[in-house]
Amino acid sequence: MIHAHALTRVFGTRTAVEDVSFALGEGQVCALLGPNGAGKTTMVRMLLGLIRPTSGSATVAGITIPGTPVAHAELRRRAGLLTETPGMYDRLSAWENLLLFGRLYRIPAGELESRVESHLTRLGLGKRRDDLVGTYSKGMKQRLAIVRAVFHEPQVVFFDEPTAGLDPESARDVRELIGSLKAAGRTVLVCTHNLAEAAALADVVGVIRRRLVAFGPVASLGAPVVPQCRITLTTAAEPARAAIEGLASVGPVAVDGPRLVVTVADPERDPPRLVAALVGAGFGVRDVRLVERSLEDLYLSVLGEV
Amino acid sequence: MFDPALTVFLRKEWRDLKGSPQILPGYLILPVLVLVVPALMIALFPLDPANAPDPDIATLMRFAARDPLLAVYPEAERLPRLIVREAVMLFLLMPVLLSGMSAALAIAGEKQQRTLEPLLATPLSDRDFLVAKLLAILVPSVVATWLSAVAYTVVIGIVSTVRFGVLMLPGPAFGLVIVALVPLAGAAAALMGMRASMRAADVQSAVQTASLWVIPIGLVGITTVGRLAVRSLPAAAGGTFVMAGVAWWMFRLTRKRFEREEILTRWV
Repeated sequence: MIHAHALTRVFGTRTAVEDVSFALGEGQVCALLGPNGAGKTTMVRMLLGLIRPTSGSATVAGITIPGTPVAHAELRRRAGLLTETPGMYDRLSAWENLLLFGRLYRIPAGELESRVESHLTRLGLGKRRDDLVGTYSKGMKQRLAIVRAVFHEPQVVFFDEPTAGLDPESARDVRELIGSLKAAGRTVLVCTHNLAEAAALADVVGVIRRRLVAFGPVASLGAPVVPQCRITLTTAAEPARAAIEGLASVGPVAVDGPRLVVTVADPERDPPRLVAALVGAGFGVRDVRLVERSLEDLYLSVLGEV
Repeated sequence: MFDPALTVFLRKEWRDLKGSPQILPGYLILPVLVLVVPALMIALFPLDPANAPDPDIATLMRFAARDPLLAVYPEAERLPRLIVREAVMLFLLMPVLLSGMSAALAIAGEKQQRTLEPLLATPLSDRDFLVAKLLAILVPSVVATWLSAVAYTVVIGIVSTVRFGVLMLPGPAFGLVIVALVPLAGAAAALMGMRASMRAADVQSAVQTASLWVIPIGLVGITTVGRLAVRSLPAAAGGTFVMAGVAWWMFRLTRKRFEREEILTRWV
């Protein structure tokens, strides 16, 4: 559904996005992570045909980029966008905003009102549909903008920080909405800083810092995602290192004060084996913890390597 | 029949206009100005140049006396009839200023409110976007001008009847200018303002750039095309034709230079 090939965008002397390639299929949710100014927005704008790549190409919802203005218009009909700020018209009601955008997205007139009604109700805005959007809270505007991004039933949806400014309940509704889009076979690309959300929502995670420095399922990102066993000893850890180094399936052993930090391949069997080896060699074990590397660890380590 | 989207769009633009401190004063002041100034001049100017309190007024009266189109009228009626006729320039100035300034805010204002990117992310073509914006800008300014022209005709009719005992109404050329030339002049000014707005880095610079282009070019256009057009019906038709060409050329130029990318990325 999205195939990006060596997309690059240069603004003057500054390269915003460089040589980015990736592919996403139907029903896949991708979280695009990266610090501010990393090129996420430029990337989304290129994929929507709003700005031209300096080099490279992409195919989104069957439309090739760069293409003709007519093709780009068709791409925009097949895609939905939630921008970083809601960008709703404050002097129109929610109903009028969606009526306007529904017509612009060419939703058939006979379906428009029922679609608007059901989406507004679903995201809890039904009762205030006739109020001016200027009177809405930030969270309500955000929910309305989300409705606008999806109510024309796009094949591909781009979300820029979809839960920013939302209360936990609304954020949950949005996550459910993204889940339902996925279930309906839509391809969703979410730009976010919320790593827990990315881990919960995404099938695939990309980390961008001008270049796409990591891309793939969370479990296969960057450095191997394997659990670490952190063993705190009753004595100094350094002398105990030799007792466990060389054990089958045990990875590198690091010493962190009184702790041994061991990368293990089998989180079920390896910790008891390690403890047995240490106790057998005469070392006292005070505590054993199995720690899985979080997405945050991965994100920071991947960016740290750039 | 209007497309419902366009109707909503026009409603939105109208509400923006009502809430705009830069544009609303123009809509309140200009109609009053075009009504009051000519009416006061007709009501208060002396009938005889010898009684003119000011040498400029005496010069104006002599100018009116020499105008060949007014030679058929009694000398006392020539200055008021000249004023009635030449006031058309105020009616051309009105849509030029209102449309030009509204257009300056049209795109820069959307950028400022962060509503532009969602709008540009719809399948709306460049042409449709420009037409919708143009109509949204043009309709209020043209309607305001037309209503002012109707009010002007009534007020001038009353004042001239009271002062001179003669009903002085603007001629058919004036009518053609108001009906046809006013929307075209407004469109040309709006397109000029939109070009400034597209390239601007913020609302302030959009208004300043539009002012620098629209006001001088508008004044030159009004004083040349407008003055000639109001002299006779064929001249009005010719002026309308010329302005239609200018407006069409401006539209083509604006469309050609309409770059979603530049509009989205050129913003501080």
